[in-house]
Amino acid sequence: MVVRIAILFLAILLLLLAQKDPRSPGPDYFAKQVLPVLHKANCEGCHNSGGGVAAGTRFKIPEGELSKEEWARFGLSLHTLVNRADPTQSILLNKPTKRLAHAGGQRIVPGSADEAVLRTWTDYLVSNTKPTDKFEIAERRGDRKPVLRRLTNTQYNNTVRDLLGDDTRIAEQFPPEDFVNGFRNQFQSQSVSPLLAEAYATGAEKLAKSAFRGGDTRGLVPCKDTTPKCGARFIKEFGKQAFRRPLLENEQGRYLKLWAMGGAPMVVEGMLQSPNFLLRTENGAEPSWQPYESASRISYAFWNSMPDTELFRAAAAGELATPEGVEKQSRRMLRDPRARHTVDEFTAEWLRFDSLAAAVKERGSFPMYTPELALAMTEEARKLVEYLVWENVNFMELYSADYAFVSTPLAKLYNVPPPAEEFGRVALPAETERSGVLGQAMLLAATAKPSETSPTARGLFVREHFLCQEVPQPPPGVNANLPLNSREKPMTNRERLAMHLSNESCASCHTLIDPIGFGFEKFDAVGQRREKLKIVFTAERKEKGKTETVLLDLDTSGSIAGAPNSAFRSPRELGTILAGNTQCQQCVVKQLFRYYQGRMEKPGDAATIRRSYDDFKKSGFHFQELMVSLLRWSIFPPES
Amino acid sequence: MSAVHTKDRSLPRRMFLRNLGGVTIGLPPLAAMFNANGTAFAGTLKAEIPTRFVLWFNGNGVVEKYWIPAETGSDFTMTPCLAPLAPFRNDIHIVTGLDNPAARLPGPGNDHHRSMAALMSGTQFTGRGSGGASIDQAIAARVGSENRFRSLQLGVSQESFGESIQRNMSWAGYDRSLPPEMLPNKLFDRLFGARDAGWIARKKSVLDAVQEDAAGLKKALGQEDRTRLDEHLSSIRDVERAIASLPPNYRRVDPPDAEGDMKDWPRIAKLQSDLLAHAFASGQTRVASYMLTKCQGLARFPWLGYTAARHHDYTHRDGKAPGYDAPDGQRVMRDICRWHVEEFAYLIGKLKSIKEGDGTVLDRTSLLFVHEHAEANDHKNNGYSLIVAGHAGGLRTNMHTRSTGTVSDLYLAVANKAMGAGLAKFPSASKEIQGIFA
Repeated sequence: MVVRIAILFLAILLLLLAQKDPRSPGPDYFAKQVLPVLHKANCEGCHNSGGGVAAGTRFKIPEGELSKEEWARFGLSLHTLVNRADPTQSILLNKPTKRLAHAGGQRIVPGSADEAVLRTWTDYLVSNTKPTDKFEIAERRGDRKPVLRRLTNTQYNNTVRDLLGDDTRIAEQFPPEDFVNGFRNQFQSQSVSPLLAEAYATGAEKLAKSAFRGGDTRGLVPCKDTTPKCGARFIKEFGKQAFRRPLLENEQGRYLKLWAMGGAPMVVEGMLQSPNFLLRTENGAEPSWQPYESASRISYAFWNSMPDTELFRAAAAGELATPEGVEKQSRRMLRDPRARHTVDEFTAEWLRFDSLAAAVKERGSFPMYTPELALAMTEEARKLVEYLVWENVNFMELYSADYAFVSTPLAKLYNVPPPAEEFGRVALPAETERSGVLGQAMLLAATAKPSETSPTARGLFVREHFLCQEVPQPPPGVNANLPLNSREKPMTNRERLAMHLSNESCASCHTLIDPIGFGFEKFDAVGQRREKLKIVFTAERKEKGKTETVLLDLDTSGSIAGAPNSAFRSPRELGTILAGNTQCQQCVVKQLFRYYQGRMEKPGDAATIRRSYDDFKKSGFHFQELMVSLLRWSIFPPES
Repeated sequence: MSAVHTKDRSLPRRMFLRNLGGVTIGLPPLAAMFNANGTAFAGTLKAEIPTRFVLWFNGNGVVEKYWIPAETGSDFTMTPCLAPLAPFRNDIHIVTGLDNPAARLPGPGNDHHRSMAALMSGTQFTGRGSGGASIDQAIAARVGSENRFRSLQLGVSQESFGESIQRNMSWAGYDRSLPPEMLPNKLFDRLFGARDAGWIARKKSVLDAVQEDAAGLKKALGQEDRTRLDEHLSSIRDVERAIASLPPNYRRVDPPDAEGDMKDWPRIAKLQSDLLAHAFASGQTRVASYMLTKCQGLARFPWLGYTAARHHDYTHRDGKAPGYDAPDGQRVMRDICRWHVEEFAYLIGKLKSIKEGDGTVLDRTSLLFVHEHAEANDHKNNGYSLIVAGHAGGLRTNMHTRSTGTVSDLYLAVANKAMGAGLAKFPSASKEIQGIFA
């Protein structure tokens, strides 16, 4: 007992000794005191090294897990934001308190205890650093941590098609996949729930049954008897296809037991439920699987399916151990029509075609908006990407194309002459002010409300999908309702949204979003052009049936806060800006990275993304080159 | 079938096994209590029938002034939204004023994402999903292992923005969503589909091989992925258990009409409720979640006459949706929240209509109605008004209690009093709310 009390006292004493006087900070003051203040102000919401809207400024909070020493170095690196002659004039103090113009608004109250902490650190930096000091944090190498990825429903369908010749697309009966990080294939969220495991079990049973209905009509079994010898041969050959690598000995034994019980159908039923089929490893610990992992990375990146015979051969021959070998196979696979379906899926998820399917439009104002027209809208978007990718056109024309691939109803909606054939190419004259995806009804309708446009939603779509920038979400409990339009005071959306920009807590983020959306205001909730905003007021009950229409002028001047020389007045002008904007070009790389790798990019991926971007740019922004390059740098992460 | 009515569980179990033609299958003890005429547990003492739990979810949120009764205690007046519960006054307890504090932790996501993760699990949204297990899963982890299904997830409306946190309410753990079964026909097949003994033996052998494969693969992985593979393995074991215990010889359930409109949500809701009630009555599970509409859901309500916009649009003023602060917008929201309660009341009524022991299934069930936001329009995440229903754990009924605790504090009360889960803690809970159960 006495000993325990003594230990307790000793512990308390040590704790007290460890608590330094906060007024005389040491190098760890940053991590302990300053970082929480920055965190509370949500600086990293915009100022982060990932996709934050302020990633282009001098202040970027590193993402990911940093060591103590790295945080200390980062804290010291802020000395470049300090005014040594007069510390009170440091931008480190005056930006967050908005004494200096700050796009993110006032994040720290001037004169608060939080500012005092920042001030303490400013003083520390003045006396403990020299202007020439460099405190860089070493860039992380692309990590080669083992990764487990589950076949997506698309990949499952394609794989059983190539493995069994079954094209019933049975995975459409599985639980649908959810969006995470903007895609449906993000491995961090790919759990196998009991419901999904049951679906896999039922699916495997059905597929195995139909593969051998009326005998082995598809020629899956290489021998025609029920002997263990034949079984072993079948298991070895079919198993290599199903598991996308040679089977281990104990695995063969396991399936031989199933063969003895129920022959080939039972083996197939088992293999189709095995984690070796449903999951694939990347950077797994088994060295002999490495070439086959690479083969699968190639085949799933380009085909969303299993490797073909040639890829298996290249893996076995060790040809995938070099970037050249991977590139050679990549180019071969790109020539197969299956690659087109992969690009289609990428497009549909990146541009969120599903949100148009879920959209409703007010029937009275938009009688032309039918499910068929909505489908035509997404098809137009798909066609444009298809053209850019497979005709090797500069992919940045996605934003700047002065042509479109439309159906006759879409041509009517756009008020351009109908195409010679459905979804044929038509020119978009300058006065349409449309260009590329920015002028497509798909985007304009999906980012609008049932009867009115939403400059906020459109601005946000551009930031997130085309610039890969995350905009912080509104704080909880904000009434987001805009002022209503009244007969007495009819307002444009710009006027109604002025509330966002005059209210400090709203303005900090909405100045980043709404001004982009304003440039789209001449396109209504289904993507039709309008010269003026038409507001219809329905009369009060006593004079039922009477309506009053007000026409308001539209001011479409917009800009991208943070991007120099980015004033624009139409989607067309925005398209030109985006096509030449480095961040937008890099965003194409990042989106494909997320789709390929099934995750968000991390600090360690910077070199992979940079090298892929360089290749993309050098090729004149040919998307096929990007596909090849990104996979190469993903499998073989560059040193720098 | 008087044998079934005795407390000797071994007898029906032997009979059951005999019918399988000698195949030995490990039946969970509950299966021993099924009988052929559908009056499961008839004659058994109430205390011996295990209790069940339903976590019921209403997307977007409610309108407080149409929802919260003005008076506390037993003489409260039913509000417009709660009106469908009038016949069940003696089966419910309204608990208002509950906080959802984890929704306010700084982090990624919009209000809907944050409130949803916090409401289900008391944790912060991860940027992808819930930061921990949802309350139904925390309960299922403790009480679910004796049943054919550890838990069931049911859903109705499918219309949503499509993100994981919006489409799922049950979470096995960090970022581990458990998707709801949305199709009554599939649910019926899982619960009551006929199977023969040969099929079971075959399935079992296949799953054994698959589990061995998984164990082998584990060696090739890092720690994080091993955990994920363990989850996969546990799902396979769940499938094995569901297969190994044959569907009970329980004959009162007809398969749902496959021809009907699959987007008629009131119809689907009732079919799902019927199946859930029968799943409980036949002892197939003790825990279920029921997602009537999605988080930040986009359901349309043609049966209410509201077709101009979608659920989420109506909670705010959005285009032609008149929105909360317009009088007609409030009326729309009132009708929408009343419909949610109406479907909840239907399930209560269904559970009450099935005889069990010396009472009804409702006597041994606890239902908890939760909604995404305390007030839909401004995404209010404190002052939630939830409904506890059913008599499991001795619920004090015909009551409205104003509380100052958190939603998780109430979860603890339900988990421990109604379900006997022995849950000492749950994220965002400080102490079990008292006074809800006798």
